[in-house]
Formats: sequence, structure tokens, C-alpha cells
Amino acid sequence: MIPVPFLTLLLFLPLAGSLLLLAMTRRESLARITALTIALAETLLACSAWFCQGSTTPQAAPPGFFLFLDRPWIETLGIRYTLGMDGISLLLVILTAFVTTIALLVSWRSIKERVALHFLLILAMESGIIGVFLSLDLFLFYLFWELMLIPMFFLIGIWGHDRNIYSAVKFFLYTMIGSLLMLLAIIGIYLIHGQQSGVYSFGLSELIGTNFSTATGLWLYGAFLLAFAVKFPLVPLHTWLPDAHTDAPTAGSVILAGLLLKTGAYGLIRFGYPLFPEAARTLTPLLIGLAVAGILYASWIAFAQKDMKRLVAYSSVGHMGFVALGIGAWTPVALSGSLLQMINHGLTTTALFAMVGMLDEQAHTRQIEDYGGLWSKIPIYSAFFVLFAMASAGLPGLNNFVGEFLILTGSFKVAQLATVLAFIGVILPLVYTVRLIQEVLFQEERRPLSMTDLSLREILILTFLALADIVIGMHPAPLLEVLKVPVALLTGGAP
Amino acid sequence: MKLYLELIILLPLLGGIVNLLLGGRLLPRRLTELLACAVIWGSFAATLGAAASYTAPVTVELGSWLAAFDFKAPFTLYLDPLSLSLCLMITFVCGLIHIYAVGYMKDDPSFVRFFALLNLFVAAMLVLILAENLPLLYLGWEGVGFCSYALIGFWYRKPENATAGRKAFIVTRIGDIGLGIAIVWMFQLFGSVSITKLNSMGYLMPIGVITALGLLMLLAAMGKSAQVPLMVWLPDAMAGPTPVSAQIHAATMVTAGVYLLMRMFPLIGVSPTVTAAIAITGALTAFYGATCALVQRDLKRILAYSTISQIGYMMLGVGAGAITASTFHLLEHAFFKALLFLGAGCVITAMHHEQDIFRMGGLRRTIPGTFWPFLAGAVCLAGVPLTGGFFSKDGILGAVWLKGGGFYGTLYFVGLITAFITAVYAIRMVLIVFAGEVPLNHSLSKGEGKPLPRIMEWSLIPLAVLGVFGGLLNLPEYLGSGVLNSFLSQPGSHEGMLPHATELLLQGVAAVVAVAGISTAWFRYGGDRRQQRLALESAPARGISAFLMEGWRVDALYDFMFVRPYKWLSSILWQWVDEGCIDDTLDRTAALFGRFGHWIGARGDGRVSRSLIGMAAGAALMIGWLAWVML
Amino acid sequence: MIVPLAHVLVLAAVLFGLGLVCTLVWRSNVIMLLIGIEIMLNAAMLVFVGGSNHWGVADGQVFALIIMAMTSAEVSLALALVVYLHRRKNTVNVDEFRELKD
Repeated sequence: MIPVPFLTLLLFLPLAGSLLLLAMTRRESLARITALTIALAETLLACSAWFCQGSTTPQAAPPGFFLFLDRPWIETLGIRYTLGMDGISLLLVILTAFVTTIALLVSWRSIKERVALHFLLILAMESGIIGVFLSLDLFLFYLFWELMLIPMFFLIGIWGHDRNIYSAVKFFLYTMIGSLLMLLAIIGIYLIHGQQSGVYSFGLSELIGTNFSTATGLWLYGAFLLAFAVKFPLVPLHTWLPDAHTDAPTAGSVILAGLLLKTGAYGLIRFGYPLFPEAARTLTPLLIGLAVAGILYASWIAFAQKDMKRLVAYSSVGHMGFVALGIGAWTPVALSGSLLQMINHGLTTTALFAMVGMLDEQAHTRQIEDYGGLWSKIPIYSAFFVLFAMASAGLPGLNNFVGEFLILTGSFKVAQLATVLAFIGVILPLVYTVRLIQEVLFQEERRPLSMTDLSLREILILTFLALADIVIGMHPAPLLEVLKVPVALLTGGAP
Repeated sequence: MKLYLELIILLPLLGGIVNLLLGGRLLPRRLTELLACAVIWGSFAATLGAAASYTAPVTVELGSWLAAFDFKAPFTLYLDPLSLSLCLMITFVCGLIHIYAVGYMKDDPSFVRFFALLNLFVAAMLVLILAENLPLLYLGWEGVGFCSYALIGFWYRKPENATAGRKAFIVTRIGDIGLGIAIVWMFQLFGSVSITKLNSMGYLMPIGVITALGLLMLLAAMGKSAQVPLMVWLPDAMAGPTPVSAQIHAATMVTAGVYLLMRMFPLIGVSPTVTAAIAITGALTAFYGATCALVQRDLKRILAYSTISQIGYMMLGVGAGAITASTFHLLEHAFFKALLFLGAGCVITAMHHEQDIFRMGGLRRTIPGTFWPFLAGAVCLAGVPLTGGFFSKDGILGAVWLKGGGFYGTLYFVGLITAFITAVYAIRMVLIVFAGEVPLNHSLSKGEGKPLPRIMEWSLIPLAVLGVFGGLLNLPEYLGSGVLNSFLSQPGSHEGMLPHATELLLQGVAAVVAVAGISTAWFRYGGDRRQQRLALESAPARGISAFLMEGWRVDALYDFMFVRPYKWLSSILWQWVDEGCIDDTLDRTAALFGRFGHWIGARGDGRVSRSLIGMAAGAALMIGWLAWVML
Repeated sequence: MIVPLAHVLVLAAVLFGLGLVCTLVWRSNVIMLLIGIEIMLNAAMLVFVGGSNHWGVADGQVFALIIMAMTSAEVSLALALVVYLHRRKNTVNVDEFRELKD
């Protein structure tokens, strides 16, 4: 065990950093470097958590959690400051730190006004997201859930383009409506559990095992599912995403796709299913149905897109559909696949958004029809683009395939028809991806754009992402090993 | 053995990666080319080493790949006679193709990308061949798909090349749905994805399930091996540089589907429905390809259709249960088809990138070094008696005959007719390209022929030798013994043997058919008749020949049935359903709330004092009401 | 000397009423508004103290202290705003400031 409250440090370091940045609003380069230093320190910290795994489980920790912190906070209401890290949180926290660092690096030059504020918001958001991944107290969870919204709202609203205010408000309203219902449901559980056991608590491990009547369980779970489905996003609730992505600055898109979408899936895995096992089982057909609909529908629509960012955004909806399918199936293999796919999608989509951002920065357009023949002009960029596009299309040997394949393998047992349909969904991404590659990289240029190839900073970012993609694609064993214990505990199978 | 197997796969992989990362700037051109060729030949040497020390089928685990709970798919390689003989062929033929490519691509600036992808292509194919479990096979399967995509669209500036690459990738991927579902399903049924285990567990399942699995795998094979109805990508795939075409058509890629079926045959061959489906697909495809090849004008397109047709033969063989005969034909076809493509590459280079055979002629005198090997390839394709192509094709037809019955009898005759057509188009091609005189308007006639790099013609010779004398590998029983036959036949497999007399008879029939085909071609295109026929056929095709020219118009049909509705619906879905229906509903709801807010807002005038009065009045009301209730 | 709770409550109610009247009568003058609010707050504070005395619990007095601290902070901020507003429009009439309406 580490003597300092490690989890607290992990949680609040970015927030502290963002406060520090408040003092640097006039000194842009200093603000950049400070923000990056903090993000790197956070990444280091997150990675060091990897090595805590072997250590003995701390006292009073729920099974599977190797780092745990439980302090009273607002005792009269039974609210506690409970943080815990198991394999699932570990991977997602590392992903968060990693993607945030990349988001900072991506906006290194492209943000020209109010630099410090921009970086400050990114760091504050990092704290919020890590808080979501670490909290084991429903109240705390809700707090961080809302905390991560606010910076994103400003990121889109201030630095976005085109219809930025519209998109920011839309994003906010969508997520807010979902999360307010979730708050109601949280209070509902709190009260029901209090009445049943006499102990009023928001602690997750306390609340698990509360008995609900069927109808109540469905209502409460429905509220949770709605909040998570908006974040996911599942199909009829996804329309905020293309707008938000398209109008957000690059860093905003990167964090939105790479991290915020994962919180929905995470919430469903960590809270939705364990709290309402029965209701979840009842609504599984709905979840799987929406997931498969999302895979097919979004991938289909992505084909028609003219704006590259919008295309990647729709592809995100499709890929998250796979994650939802795996969660819906709730078998060990499928769930491991879903979790792995969350990481994979985070890496690949981050890379794609970053790359589209790089083009936008130079040519100031994201329309596919403005490009063409980029391969001959910027070969390094193009090679990376093909790599990430192929990863996104699920080429075996790269990361997305691993997750998707595990999901499909695991869910076939439970939902044959859905899996067979999802297999069709495996080829649809290829269709729009090769179209994108052909229109942007191949053929002759359509408009004379003077492009310069990647700078060293950009190569560095993309190399890291590419390495991550390939390593996970070829050797996912370490990650799957980390996920094994928590997944086994969640699904009730043997590890 | 483990070292050999590692080397077989890792050498091409490393070659590709090193070239990709260092090529161009750090490595001089010669070194890149040398490296690309050396790794393939190194891989060939390793295969030879493996063959020399081979005694019994071995399984080697190199590391873990996918493992979650009970699902395990490690990097495990499996070497048995089938995979060994294919590896030998692939590394050898690809080695020659690489050497040839050095000459062919000598003026191309993007040689780094080319050689790197070519190496990766071989690596992926070897993974596919050596994989012991299906997910690993799938890795190679898709890797081959990607490399073919990138290489077919190698000259990406032309939209039609890029589109051809895209088409190949997507169409083959449609077949992959079948493979994917089959893998997942088999895992659910048997709890394993290891090929060797699956092959020994077939008896556990009812025949209906096996049939379904077999049909799914047939779908996969249709995509990869360009079988009817998923054959549309292959004719376009010749858009890539010629060495790539040679590699795709001969050694890698298209044989993958046949290989999959051969590999899984112990499992799926139990079901008569599956074998019948495979056989009929093969026969239909063989016939389709041959008829289309009959009228084409583009040299590479003729060869592409002939590939479709020949792969159809292999499928037919698999469907008849003749794995050995199929393998033999696969190897033999690899030799002569690589030879033909490389020869075609020489012709095209000599003609300054002219691919229309009607503008060629007289090349037997200008490039004799290409003519003789090409002729050897063509006679193999035509099935002239005593060449390798004759024996291998005959093996398949014999096996089909042996199955007997009306169904297989019909297929035998389809195969025989196809053999006739094959002989016709093969000889037609040779006669048009090489016989006669050089067209007057072409630069070659003015003695400005472009000298071919020596290296290109040299690499044809080993292939020609193997093509013509390849029959020695697997002589029919009555002429001695088949090396390949005894090597490939696994204990427990019981491929039927024809009585010698019947076999001789069948070969006699095949020989007659081949000779008839050749004579037909000669009577149409030989000697002085060549010029007249050319003049006749140069006119835009009409009627049946236009139908054949366009590959039975399948492309147009698919475009109408699938491609256009897909595109059209995708914009409909986007603009009407997504933006129009879902999003608009929500936007309107939001706008409604907004208007309501404005309406309320318009009631007040924004004076703080008024609000204060209102607040006080409201508070008084509430307190009054409370008091009323309480008291 | 012990004052009964009822007396304290009556006094607080009167005080509150005065404050309310103050805000309502001089409702357009921001200074008078602030004074009225202060008086109402003091009335509330009185109730807290009275209750604390009556039940013998210190919580009420703590609250009174908090309210004192809060009001002082609030008044200083509010007066700063008044000065700023006065500088902008040269008036302290709240009805002049209704830009938020649109």
C-alpha cells in the first residue's frame, strides 16, 4: 500500500493543476507547459497504479479492488468519500490520462486565444472523468458525472466552430435530462434501501442487493439506462453526438469520443447491472436491439457523410454499439471484449479525430470533397491515416478487431440473431472507411491546397497511438488479464 | 522446427516493416529491393529446412494472442503436408515474383511502399496457411485482403484503380461474414477454435449443423476465391501492377478460399449437401470464367477470368472430395498462372503499357525470351497432354467422374466443356499476341522496342519448367507413383482411386477435348485467318459476346441491386430519418419550450420593483393559504 | 432576565414586516432595497437566537454568527455593485437596469 492517499492524489492532481493555470491566463507558453507537465505527471501516476495490482487487497475493500479509500464526508446523509480501483477502473483511468495528454498536445498550436482557459478546462474535465471511474459512492459518482459536463460545454461553446452554441446547448440539455433522471433514481434507491435496512447510504457496496419490486426496479433502472444511453450513445438518442463532435475543437472531439462516451458504458457496467440485476435482465433485449440497430444504422449513415468529423462521429456511434452489445450479452467473454473495445475505441477514434483536426488546421475545411490525392503530398500523414482507418474498420492485428471479435464470440451464445446482424455491421465500417481513404488520400487533388507533412510533435502523438493500436491488436493478453478478475466477479463466473 | 516456422513468417514480416520504416530515406533503392527479395528467399529456405526435417504434423505455439476465459486463440502454427506444400509453393513463386518485380518496377518512385506491401502480403498469406486456429487464420485472411486492397490500388491517382482495390476489399469482406459467423458458432458448439480439434469433433454434431457451417465457410471461400456469385472483384483486380496480379492470382489470396475448404474438409466434408454445393459452385464458376475469357480483349483480363475458371476447377475438386487432386491443381495453377501473368507483364512492358491484345502481334520475333515461356504457360492452361496442367486438371475431372451419379456426371460434362473452352481461349490469346505481324502504327514496328530488363525474362524460366514438368510431381498411378499423392494423403483419408483403365480412358477423353479446343482456336485465329478475325472482332461487341465481355453483366446487376440502393438509402437515412425525423423532433420540442419561455418572458417588463411586488404578493398568498389550512 | 420566546417571535415578526415594507415601498431605490433586506435578515437572526436560548442549543447562535459574516460580505459586494451601477447610469433606480430582460 502507498502511504499517501494515492487515489485522492490521482483524482485531484488535474483539478489542482487547473487551479494553478488560473494564475497563468496571460502567459500562454507557460500555461501550455504547466498543463502538459501536469497531464504527464497524471499519466505517470495512473500508470504506476498498474503496479499496485499485485499488492494485497486493502481492508474493507470490495472484492477485486486493489486500491480503496473510504472516508466519511456528509455523514448525516450517509454520503461517503469512497474511491476504489479495480482492473476496469485502472485501464480506464490510464486511458483517460493518456487521451487527455494527447488532447493537450493536439491543441498545442491550434488554440490561439484564451489558451490557459482551454487547458484549464481540459484538466478540470480530466478530474471529473477520473472521478467517475473511481467513485464507489453514488452521490460522489453523480457529482463527478456532472462535473465533467461543464468544461465540455465551455470547450464546445467557446472554441467550437460553425453552430457551436447550438451544439453545446444541445449536448448539455441531452446529457442533463438523462442525468437528472439518474439523480432521481439514485435518490430513489437511497430511500428504498434506507427503508428496507434502516441504513441510509449512497455506498455502492451497501446498495447492491437491495430488493425492488419489479416495477420499481424497471423504473429506476430505466432512468439509469437513459442517462447512460445518452452518453453511449444508443441509437435514437445519438443525435447530439454528430453535432457536438463536428462543432467542437479538436481537443473537445478527442475527449468526447475518447473518454466521455466511455463513461456511459462504464456506468452501466459498474452501477446499472449490479444494482438492478433483474431489471437489467428484463431490458436486455432492448439494449441488444438498440445496440445492433446502432451498429447498422450509424455505419450506414456514416457512408453518406460529407464532413470528415461527422463521419468519424457516426462511426463512433457504430463502434459503441458493439460495446453495448457486449454489455447486453453479459457473458464473461463478451464483457471483456466490451471493456477492451472501450479502450480500443478510445485510442482509435482519438487518433482519427486528431488527424482530421490536423487537416482542418492546415486547410481550414473538413469537407471530404475538398481533399484528394493527399498521399503524394503528405505521405507520412497518409500512412498513419490508413493505419488508424484500418484499425477502425476492424482489421485483424489491430486493436479494434480484438475487442469486436471477443464481443461477437461472447454474445453469440446469448443472442444469435443479433450477433449475426452485428457481423454484417463488421463490414459496413470498411465500406465507409475505404471510401474516405479513397476520396481523401487517393485520386487527384480536387483543390490546390498546400499541405505540409506532420511536424515532430504530431508524429510523436500518432506514433504513440499507433504503437498502442498495434500492441493491443497483437498482444492484448496483459489487458485481458487485468480485466479478468473484475469481469469474473461481475458476471459471476470463475476467474 | 519451431525456428523454421518462426522464420517462415517473420522474415517477410520483418522485411515489410523494415522497408516501410526505413525505406526511401535511409536505405538506398538497391538495398530495399535486395532486402525484399532476400526475406522471401530466406523464408523459402526456411520452408525447405522445415520440409527436410519434417516427419509428422507438428503444432508449434509461438505466443498468446486472444485469450479471455474459455476462449483461446494463441499464435499457434500447424505444419502438415498440405500447409507445407503450399508454403513451398508460395515462398518459391513469390520469390520469383519479387525478383521479377525488381525489373518491372524499376522506374517507379513508390518502390518502398510497393515492396513493403508485397512482403507483408506474403507474410499474411503464410500466416493464413500455417494457422492452427481459425481466428489466426482470419488474421492472415484479412491481412491478405488489406494488402491486396493497397496493392491493387497501388497507382492510386487513377480513380478506377483505387475503386478496383476498394471493390476487392469490400467484396471479399462480404464473404468474411460467413467465416466470422462460422468461427463464433463453432466456438459455441465445440468450445474450441483450433482447426485440428474441430476437424476431429465433427461427429459430435448433427449433420444439419455441419451443413450450415459448411455453407458459411463456402460463403467465405466464394469471396476470397472469387467464386460465383462473389467473383466480380477479380477481373478488376488486375488494375494493380502486374507482379501484384501474379501474386494475387497465382500464389496468394485467391487460393485462400480453396485452402480454407480443404483445411476444414474433414469437418464439413461429411455433409453431402456441402460437398454438392461446393462442387456446383466450382463447376459454375469454372464455366463462367472460361466463357468470359473467350471474348476479352485485355490481356490481363483474359488471365483474370481464366483464374476464376481454374479456381472453379479446384473448388469442383474439393466438392468431389479430391483434396489431393485439388492441391495438385492449386500448385500447378500457381506455377503456370504466375508464369502467364509475368509473361503478360513482359509483353505489356515491351508494348509500352498497351494491354489490348488486338493492338499486338508478331511478338514471337521481338521478344522470344518471353514467347517461349508464355507458350509453355498457355499449353499448361489449355491442358495439352503430358503437361502439368493436363494431369492436374484431369485428376479433378477423374475424381468427379468417380463420384458417379447424375449430379456429378453433369458436373463432369460441364468440366469437360469448360476444358474445351479453356483450350480455345488460351490458344487464341497466344495466337493473337504473338503470331502475325506487329501492327504498323505501333512503335515496335519502327524498331523502337523497349529492351526488357533481363531479370524479368529469367524469372519466367523456372516457372515454365515447373509448369510443364510439374506433372511429374503427381503422376497417375499407372505411370508410377505420385509423390504428392503419397505425401498429402493423410492416414484415414480415403480418396477413391480410379481403375487404371478408366483413368486412361478419361485422360484420353480429356486429351481429345484439349486437342479439339486447340484446333478450333487454330482454325479461327491461325495463320492468315488471324487478320480477318481481328478485323471482325475489333468492332464493338454485340449480343452474346457483349454479354460475355461484360462478365455476364453481373457487375451492372450488382450495381443496380446493391450498390446504388445502399448509397441512396444511406443519404435517405441520414437526411430524412436521422436529421429529419429524430433530430428535428427533438429540435422542435426544444424550440417549443423556448417559445413558451419567451411567451412567459414577454408578460413581464423586467422591472425589479414589479417583480418584488409580485414576489411579496405570492408569498402572502402562500402564507395565507398555509394559515387557512392550518387553522 | 428571561424573555419568553413568544415575545421574541413577535418582535422578529414586526421587524420582518418593517423590512418588507421598506423594500416594497422604496422598491425602486436599490439602497433602500438593501436596507430592507438587512432588516429582514436581522429578524431571522433574532428568531435563531431566541430559539437557541429557548431550547438551550448552541446551533442557533452559530447560525446567527454565520448570518452576520454572510451579510457583511453580501453588503460589501452589493454596495460595490451599486457604486458600479451608479457610475454606469448615474442612477440607483433598479428599474433602469433591465438589460437582462431580452
